[in-house]
Formats: sequence, structure tokens, C-alpha cells
Amino acid sequence: MEPVIVLKHVYKNYGNKQVLKGINLSVYPGQVIGYIGPNGAGKSTTVKILCGLISDYEGEVIVDGIDLKKDPVAAKARIGYVPELAELYDVLTPVEFLSFMAELYNMSMQLATDRIEKMLTAFGLHDNMHSRMDTFSKGMRQKVLISSGLLHNPDIIILDEPLSGLDANSVIIVKDLISKLAKEGKTIFYCSHMMDVVEKVSDRVVLINDGAVLADGSVEELRQQQGNQSLERIFAQLTSKESLSDAADQLLHAFGQ
Amino acid sequence: MNFVNRFFLWILLLPQRFYRQMGADTGHLRAILNTKLMMDDRRVPPMQQMKRKKTQRLPRYATLGTMLFSAIIGVLFLFVFSVGSDYITQLGFYFAFYIFLLAAMLITDFTTVLIDVRDNLIILPKPVNDKTFLLARLLHIVTHISKLVLPMSLPAAIYLAIHAGILAFVSFLPLVVCSTLFTVFLINAVYVIILKLTTPEKFKNIISYFQIFFAITVYGAYQLVPRLFSAAFFNGFQLTHSRVAWLLPPYWFAAGWQYINGGSLTSPLFVYLLLSLLLPMLSIWAVIRFFAPSFNRKLAMIGGSEGGPVTTNRKKNNSTSRGLGGYATRLAGLLTRRGPEQMSFLFTWKLTARSRDFKMKVYPSIGYLFVYLLLFWVRAKEKISLSSFTEQTGPGRYIFTGLIYLSSYSLMMAIYQLIYSEKYKASWIYYVTPVESPGSLLLGALKAMMAKFYLPLVVIISIAAIILNGPSILPNLILSISNQCLTTLIVGYMSLRALPFSQQQSNSIKGSNFLRGMFSMLLPMILFFVHFLAYNNLVVIIILFALSAIAIWLMMDAIRTKNWEQLTIGEYE
Repeated sequence: MEPVIVLKHVYKNYGNKQVLKGINLSVYPGQVIGYIGPNGAGKSTTVKILCGLISDYEGEVIVDGIDLKKDPVAAKARIGYVPELAELYDVLTPVEFLSFMAELYNMSMQLATDRIEKMLTAFGLHDNMHSRMDTFSKGMRQKVLISSGLLHNPDIIILDEPLSGLDANSVIIVKDLISKLAKEGKTIFYCSHMMDVVEKVSDRVVLINDGAVLADGSVEELRQQQGNQSLERIFAQLTSKESLSDAADQLLHAFGQ
Repeated sequence: MNFVNRFFLWILLLPQRFYRQMGADTGHLRAILNTKLMMDDRRVPPMQQMKRKKTQRLPRYATLGTMLFSAIIGVLFLFVFSVGSDYITQLGFYFAFYIFLLAAMLITDFTTVLIDVRDNLIILPKPVNDKTFLLARLLHIVTHISKLVLPMSLPAAIYLAIHAGILAFVSFLPLVVCSTLFTVFLINAVYVIILKLTTPEKFKNIISYFQIFFAITVYGAYQLVPRLFSAAFFNGFQLTHSRVAWLLPPYWFAAGWQYINGGSLTSPLFVYLLLSLLLPMLSIWAVIRFFAPSFNRKLAMIGGSEGGPVTTNRKKNNSTSRGLGGYATRLAGLLTRRGPEQMSFLFTWKLTARSRDFKMKVYPSIGYLFVYLLLFWVRAKEKISLSSFTEQTGPGRYIFTGLIYLSSYSLMMAIYQLIYSEKYKASWIYYVTPVESPGSLLLGALKAMMAKFYLPLVVIISIAAIILNGPSILPNLILSISNQCLTTLIVGYMSLRALPFSQQQSNSIKGSNFLRGMFSMLLPMILFFVHFLAYNNLVVIIILFALSAIAIWLMMDAIRTKNWEQLTIGEYE
């Protein structure tokens, strides 16, 4: 089977700081990749490269057979992206915003209108469809963002911390949605700090630290390598130089007892 | 979407075939422009942001409001036609005002509207090609500027059409376009220079200083210029006689117009027409050649989290703030009681120094005060010579005490503004901590305001007074300073009805605001009048000082013992 996303020797510098130090990765259709790593590891940079937000990287990135450097527009058409920060034009209503997104994805207006209404209704936003988003809560904005990423029914979905701000019920919906989309053959690139969720939804975990891939495999495989423990523990073991319980002790000692 | 925007969209999309040949996707172009124009309509205009009282009604026709505003400015510009004796002079002034005000309006719009950093996250991941994106941005900038420029220049154009004929009208318009391009270039240059000199994080602060400067200059020019020059001077004035004017672009535009309308093809003014046409071309070339490449990237950094100069700057920030903190800490030690009052002093000192919001609201009003002082001086110039400052008799001797009373107005705006903050929700810290007497927090904050905005002024005025008048002015000086502190405390007692930085600007606290405002305005005048009556009687001055000191002590106590029931609790989450 052909991989849908290929990263070959991807380097990226900000000034003289190297953020990505040769990332190699192949993702296959239907996989849910849990892309994890501590703050500043290069997660967001990878995602931004995949989405075409950063173009001055070294190396090769191929999405669905298209070289991102040669034809970024065609590659972007195949990707759905849900950004981490709830950045949206909040003076618009969800319908206006999503229709705008649909137009940029070259969808027919009829299809878009129909789909937007169905998606917003499914997320329980039916009553807020025509009110401006500047009054929306973080969770409601996140639902609109998720809708905007899935609207054009992309084959590759990149989710950057998609559950932030969502209430427990919506979390269940989105987690369920992820596994159902994967069953339909969609490829999902899931970035998160929440290890328990990553453990549940993803069938392959890629752990990066300091701009390089540190571990790559299913949760089961990682357990076999690192001893039978939770992903949270494995993560800590691989990425933290000092013992984390020491840090907790130090915090306690700050009280002077 | 209103008819204005629909009209603009229609005009912009007329050369569709041309756009397509350039490689842009017209469908995307229409979608982006449509959305951008729609958002412009819902944006709160910058003039209202300065003193926003949030209305429940959301803005829907902001575009029309902005256009109306610039039309009014355009009508105000017509006054230039009453100045001077020829069109060159009048239009020279016109273009000068035009460029200045357009720059003032555009300088903020550039970051907030025209180059919206959210675009990078929202539009760039979509399958939109770069050419479409750039074209959309460019056309949006053109539309936005047209919306300001058209209504602003129309009144003058109509005036010229009526008074000087149709050629005057027709030749005026391209020159307006040229001066607009020149203004855009100026703003670009300012942006690039600022970005070169500082980090993107500080950029917004500097832009807001520019706004403050513009506001004060406009107000100052409005107040001072008519008074500085006599009417006769204006009527007979000819800009052509001033050689300095020859060097300034507004004069070029005016002279260029004069050349076209002068009737003489051999006139030396031809040079200016050439200059005014060349200037915008050169500007555009400079923008494209030098500014554009790095410009967009750097602008993106202003709002975005990209780039990592943050860590390198941290060290520098720390050391400067420690230096400032040292001074503030020493002042706090001198002026406040230990505990909450002292903490509140330092807290207020630092927050007012770092909050852009606060500075934007308070600094212009302090600037206006200086304009008033200047005005006062200009008016008094004929009556009071500098030598009379040093005399013990004559009107000059009241000046310094008067100045001290006058300076209280600089503080009032700061005190009114003190309870508001954009980050009002952070005021939860007051409510979760075991604060027994919120009054001491108020007193500390008030003292910080006095130390910050009032102390430097008082020190300068006192030194000047002692040098010019000798130590004999001291009793009067001390009384005025003490009365001044009393005024501030009374105003503070009345208007600080919530803890510092705990309220949302839109939530103006109900109450007899107007009466309180009137009272605060009158109080320094009343005290000055009483002081003025007793000015030469040392015994009365000393008695008044004793009374004032007792009142200060009582007021401080009253503020310190304010309890939770007397305060409005902010909304916090």
C-alpha cells in the first residue's frame, strides 16, 4: 500500500535554532497517528509544514502523491485542518464562516449549505447557526473549527489538540468520529498532549523530542519496548531527563517542611 | 452587506479576465473579498474604540459610519479655502492636512484590518494559490483606502468644480490619488523603520504612541494655529513666498495642480507636476523593492507566535523592570504603609506602565493639558513678559500656584480610568485572597497614581518657582501642593468605586457621574480661589495649610476604611 503522507529528512530552522532535525515518517491510509511530544519538540512546526503554512523547510514532504513544494494548492485541497488556537473570524456567523471555507474548497453552494446545516446540528449548534461567533464559548468555537476541517470531506485530517474546550459529551462524539472516519479509510494525524486520549484513539504513536522522532509504533509495541505501563509513563520516561516525582517533591519542599 | 460594499465588490471584480490571466482564481477572490468586506462592516471603527461604551447593538454598517466620518473631515478641510490668497497656498495646506489625517487613520488600520494575522491560519491552509491571496489582500487595501479617501476628498473636489471650473475638478482627482499613494508609502516606511528598530512585540505599543501623538497634535493644531497667527496674516499669505514650502510634497501637489490650471504651459511649476507624479511612482517602487519582501513576514510575527526572539529579550526586560521597580519600591516605602497598601501601590505602578489600554486613554488627556498650558501661555504672552514671572507683585506671582492647581486635571482621567482594564477578569485575585480592607488597596493605587503622574510635574514646577521667585514662594507652593493632594484624594474617594483594573470598560458604573465630574472639575478652582484671596497673608496661608493637612489625613482614613459593601464587585470567571 502507498503511504499518503511521506516526510523525508525534513529540517526546519528558525534563525539559527534548528527546530526539526531530520524527520522521517510514512503514514498509510486509514491510520490514526498520535503525534506526541513535549512543548517545543517541533509538533506544531510539523503540522504547519503539512498544512502548507510553512514552506521554507528542507527535505521532502509528499501528501497523497503530491510534492508539497511543487503543488501546494492541490495538496491543501486534500487536507482538512483543525488548528489548535481557536482562530476564526468571530464577527461572522458559523454559517457565513463555513460557507466562506466551502467556497475556498471549491464546493458547490448547495452541497455546502446542506452539509453545514447537518454538521452544526449534529454538534448541537443549530440554534446558534446565525448568531455571530464573538459571543461563543471556547467549546462552541472549537466545534465550528472541527466542522471547517471536515467540511470538504478530506482524505487526510490533521487535528491539533481538537478536544480543547469541549465538554465531556462532545469529547465522546469527536473521539467516536475519529475512529469512524478511520474505518472509512481516512488518514488522521492527531496532535495532542492528552496521553490517555492518544492512547485510546490512535493505532500508531509517533513521539518526537527536540526535533527528532524518538519512538514510533503502536501503543502495544511501545509497551513491549518500554515495559508494560501507560503511555503517560512511557512518554515521561523517554522525554524527561529528571525524575518527575522529584519535581513534585521539590514543589512540596517549597513549603519548607 | 450594504450597497457600498456591493458596489465596491462589483467594481473590483470587473477585470475578472485580467485577474484570471494573472493566475488568480476569481471564485476564491470573490469569496475572500466578500468575507473581508462583510467583516469590515461589523468592525467597531477605531475612533469609537478609543472611548468605547459598548452598545448592545452590534455594528452592522460600520463602513457607512467610517465613510460619513471621513466625509465630515473632508468638509472641515474646506476651511483651507479661506486661507491665503491663491490656490497654491490653499491646496498646499489642503494636501498637508490630507496626508497627515489619512496617515493618522491608516496607521492603525494597517495592522488591525488590512493585514489580519488570522488570515495566515484560516486562509493559507486552504487550497488558495498565493497570487489569489495576494491579489485579494491588495484589492482589500485599495477598497479600504478608497472608502476613506473618496468621501474625504469629494467636498474639496466639488468646491473646486464650482469655483474654478471642471478642469480644476478633473485635475484635482489624480493628484489626490498621488498624495494617497505617497501617504501609503509613508506609513509603510514608518512600519518598516519601527520593525527594524524594535521587536514585533513592542510594535503595537509604538503604534499606539503614534496614535496618542497624532491625537494630541491634531488637538493642539486645532487650538493653537488660529490663535498664533492673525487673520490678516492668513488672508495675505502666499505659500510660494516660503522657500521651505518648496521642499515639501504637499506643496508639489498643489503646484502641480496650479500648473495644469494656470494656463501657461511654460510655467516653471511644471517641475512640481512632474515631481508629484514621480513621487508616488518612486514610492511604489520603493515599497515593492525594499519593503514588501520582509514586510509581510515581519507583520505576521506581530500577532503570531512565530519566531523565537522572545527568549533573548527576556533578560533585557527583566533588568529594566528591576531598575524601574527599584525606584518604585523606594517610593512605595516612603509613601505607603506596609502590607496591602504597599502591594497595591507597586501593582498599580507596574500595570499602568505596561497596559497599552490604559496609556491610550490617559496619555492623550495629559497631552491635551499641555496644549492648554501652551494656549494659556500664548494668550498671556502679550500681557505677561517673562520678567514678570520673577516679580513678587503683578499677575506673574500666581502663575506657579495656578499651574499646580491646573495640573490636577492631568490626574483625573488617570483616576477615572484606573478601575477599568481589558483583563478585568483577572480581578478574581482580589476576591479569592483574604483581603480584609479593600480600602487600603484603593489608597495604595491612588498614591501610585499621584506619585507617577503628579510628583514629576510638581517637582518641576516647584524647582522653576523657587529659582524664579526665590524661597519666599514656598508657603504658597506648599499650600497649593497640599490642596492638590486633597483634591486627588476627594476625587479618588468619589470615583474609585471598584478595585483597580477590575471593571470592564463598557460597564460604566451607574451613579451621578455628571455631578461628580462637575464637582471634580470645580474643586481645584474653588481651592485656588480661596488660596488666591489669602495669597499675601502668611498667617492665613499657614492656617489654610493646617486645615488642608487635617483634611488629607481624614480623607486618607476614609479611603483606607472603605469596605467591601461600598465597592462594585467586578465580573470574574
